[in-house]
Amino acid sequence: MPDWKTIVRERLARLRLKGAREAEIIEELTQDLEDRYNELLVQGISAADARLRAEEILAQSESLAGEIEPAAPLCGFRHDLRLALRNLRTRPAFSSLVIGMLALGIGGNAAIFSIFNGMFLRPLPFKEPAQLVDLDETAPQWKLKYVGVSNADFYEWQKHNATFDSMAFIKQNDFNLSGFGTAERIPGALVTHDLLRVLGLKLVAGRNFSPQEDSQGGDKVVLLGYSLWQRLFGGSREALGRVIKLSGESYTVIGVLPGDAVFPDRVELWVPLAADPNASTGWYLNGVGRLKHGVSIEQAHADLLRVHKSAHLNANKVTSPIITPLRDRFLGNFRTVSRVLLGAVGIVLLIACVNVAALMMMRGAERAREIAIRTAIGASGSRIIRQLLTETLVMAGIGGAAGVALGYLFLRGLLTLMPDQMPRWINFALDARFAVFCVLITGGAAMAFGLLPALQAARVSAGSVLQESGTRSSLSRGSRRTLSGLVVCEIGLALMLLISAGLLIKSFDKVLHVDPGFRPENVITFSVDLPPAVYGKAEQKLTFFRNLVEQLRHIPGVESAAAASAPPLGGHWGNFFQAEGAPPLGPHEQNPVVLQVAVMPGYFDAIGMTFLAGRAFDERDNLLRVGTDGWSADPAKGPLVAIVSEAFARRYWNVETAVGKRIRHSADNAPWITVTGVVKDEKHYGLDQETRPAVYFPYGEAPLESMSMVLRGAIDPEMLAGPARDVLRRMDPGVAMYDMRSMTERLHQSMWARRAYSWLFGAFAMVALALAAAGVYGVISYAVSRRTHEIGIRMALGARPDQVVRTILGSGMALVAAGAAIGLVATLIAARLLEALLFGVSSRDPRIYATMILGVAGVSFVANFVPARRAAAVDPMNALRTE
Amino acid sequence: MTQHELKKGSAELLILSLIERQARHGYEISKLIAARSEGTLTFQVASLYPLLYRLEGRGWIQGRWVEKAGERRRRFYRLTAAGRKVLAAQRRGWLQFAEAIRRITGIEYA
Repeated sequence: MPDWKTIVRERLARLRLKGAREAEIIEELTQDLEDRYNELLVQGISAADARLRAEEILAQSESLAGEIEPAAPLCGFRHDLRLALRNLRTRPAFSSLVIGMLALGIGGNAAIFSIFNGMFLRPLPFKEPAQLVDLDETAPQWKLKYVGVSNADFYEWQKHNATFDSMAFIKQNDFNLSGFGTAERIPGALVTHDLLRVLGLKLVAGRNFSPQEDSQGGDKVVLLGYSLWQRLFGGSREALGRVIKLSGESYTVIGVLPGDAVFPDRVELWVPLAADPNASTGWYLNGVGRLKHGVSIEQAHADLLRVHKSAHLNANKVTSPIITPLRDRFLGNFRTVSRVLLGAVGIVLLIACVNVAALMMMRGAERAREIAIRTAIGASGSRIIRQLLTETLVMAGIGGAAGVALGYLFLRGLLTLMPDQMPRWINFALDARFAVFCVLITGGAAMAFGLLPALQAARVSAGSVLQESGTRSSLSRGSRRTLSGLVVCEIGLALMLLISAGLLIKSFDKVLHVDPGFRPENVITFSVDLPPAVYGKAEQKLTFFRNLVEQLRHIPGVESAAAASAPPLGGHWGNFFQAEGAPPLGPHEQNPVVLQVAVMPGYFDAIGMTFLAGRAFDERDNLLRVGTDGWSADPAKGPLVAIVSEAFARRYWNVETAVGKRIRHSADNAPWITVTGVVKDEKHYGLDQETRPAVYFPYGEAPLESMSMVLRGAIDPEMLAGPARDVLRRMDPGVAMYDMRSMTERLHQSMWARRAYSWLFGAFAMVALALAAAGVYGVISYAVSRRTHEIGIRMALGARPDQVVRTILGSGMALVAAGAAIGLVATLIAARLLEALLFGVSSRDPRIYATMILGVAGVSFVANFVPARRAAAVDPMNALRTE
Repeated sequence: MTQHELKKGSAELLILSLIERQARHGYEISKLIAARSEGTLTFQVASLYPLLYRLEGRGWIQGRWVEKAGERRRRFYRLTAAGRKVLAAQRRGWLQFAEAIRRITGIEYA
């Protein structure tokens, strides 16, 4: 006789019941098996067969072990887990479908969340970063949100405020570093000595600026950025006290800044601002302040406004302080985008969950018999729900892990799309917050798709299912309604995403087709900064740039070459102008801020701008026309000329009459300047940005130190970079060139965010549509397979196949129509959130709405039609026989 | 008594009824169920013993090891006082249920 005791013990080994209890259970079960075995022998069954039959009974020991009260709650869980894994393995197609859908949904969320996390949740690498704010002045009347802070305001605010722990002011300023090989341009900043304290940073070596050094005539000292220190001095402390040449002047190195908290972003040098408190200046500073604890932004704003007003009783009514949380100043533009994207991936995940829930419910119906039996033998509802939820959690766990891996790859891909414009202290490494998010979203998904089917399954009435024994169980009316509801939800959500994606992609397309006002192809630009210590006089600067342009023109392959202080996408330098003969301003009308650009002759040709009237500058216009200060245009030196943009001409006169009219800076005694031409507007601030009126001067009227060279090539402009560098090196190795990029690349990069989110949205929408279609197809196919019998009867009674198709299509498409209607209403409400991202497209663009509705209808039709046709192909005799 | 409980209780009712008059061991119970239902109802080891343990846990039945001369000891289950009450209540429930079914369906059962 087999040793039943050992067999039973082995089967129950994993139960881990308490010793005595286990022995009892084993003894009892052993006896039962022995009795069975002996009885079978008595009935004349062979020993081998008897043993097999008895063992068959034990084969269910998995559930036996589960049904016996466990010694510890974990035991039950472990059992559930084992059972769940076994169930997954027995249905590989089902399991991988569920896991795949979840992975897709969770992957998208993980990637977008880590971007949102990096931008908006992870603390900035400064001390108590929540207390840090950006300080600036705003001028709504000039339509400028940020104008910068003036010297006078900076001193007033700093002295009289009551809400700030400290404030510092910064002017970004790049330096030409010479003495270490070829001259190099180093991004730097002039800062007040409080900046270290405001940011709460500790120097790696050396000391901070003293207040004396940060005042007029103080010693020239410099703090090196960490990477520059490493590069120049190999991280040696001997750097301290060394003298380096910056833009032709000597500075003593007194300290090294920490590596991870570069402020302003990418700056590698700090030099004292040493501003003159009494000098009246324009608005040129950026401020950063640390709020006192417990002070809100509103309180701080009210405080600064009070200080500001009391200091400018008469003079300054246009600008007022504006305080922005530090992060928002840099990333505020991305807040809407990243929220909208999070919403979109959330919807994708929701659709995936809805699909999985539907799958689980169908699966649940198939398992109804198993569950009914277990209920009948006394398994409690909660016990069954627990088992089903464990299965759900196991699938969610695997799907979540796969999703996180997928999300990581997805994130890598997204980051390569991003140009190098993010502040360095923003990083997208995965962190604890990310881990928590992934666990939460996976758990949330599991609950969303698992709970409903589990409850449904546990409610299955045991009697009804068991009575149907042998027939394929069909869904209860409640389940059918739930499944229909899920289909409606899916269609609605998918439509919402599709319409949003359509609006965004159409906007992107519109932006791409905006006329930039210049010809970006085959143009390369780079910037050149003259060190003021060497090129102090206006004549020197004019001569240098004249020679440079001349030599650049001689590079083989160069069609035309010129220079401008700000080529398209090259920054803004604004001023106010009066126009002769223009109608007077209305009482509430403000003079617009005008972009002013100094150009070398040949610029309009090189950049490819079009003249609407008048003529371009020639060398006679570009003679030196500045007064003794080397700066302001002086009519005594010769006729002053300017070219205005189309928008400028229309603002004050019109294009036809502009030439010959005169303009001047909005100052009482500024000289009049004659307009010699009108050019078509160029999209100076980006293709999707509004244009401002613009005025172009010959360089000789405004000789600047910093100019951007513009080369138009007959060949690939990238080929011109090397020869251009050689030209500059030959002319003066102490002058650095930087920011060399082709114009098409600049345009491309200016649109990276729009491009990225438009296509992301498109991709999410396509995934959503595919998921929704799969859901519709699955649910309808399932319904058809459950109705095979009914369809067979109908056809036996004379229904034609096309009638069957029509019936099934009708009921399926009714759900689609309901979903589309709900989705349409939801989109009309939600699309308003998108408005900030749209360009040239209304958030209610009827063509996009119609196209997408048709698209959804078309795809759903196919998803409905395939199962409907299958139903019509049912052979009535067969269908009836199988039941 | 709700319908849900009724169904779940059917297996319990069978066991409680079988040990109402005399204590029985597990194998005997499963044999009796199979025999008296003429094979329509069968209990597997996997479902019978757990149910017995659960009923015992609720205090409705009590298991005791009994040794008889010449036999190995066996675990016999008998009804407790609490079990007797539950059995009575469950019987009433089933009768009402069956009566209700009969009235509606007109099925007469033997």
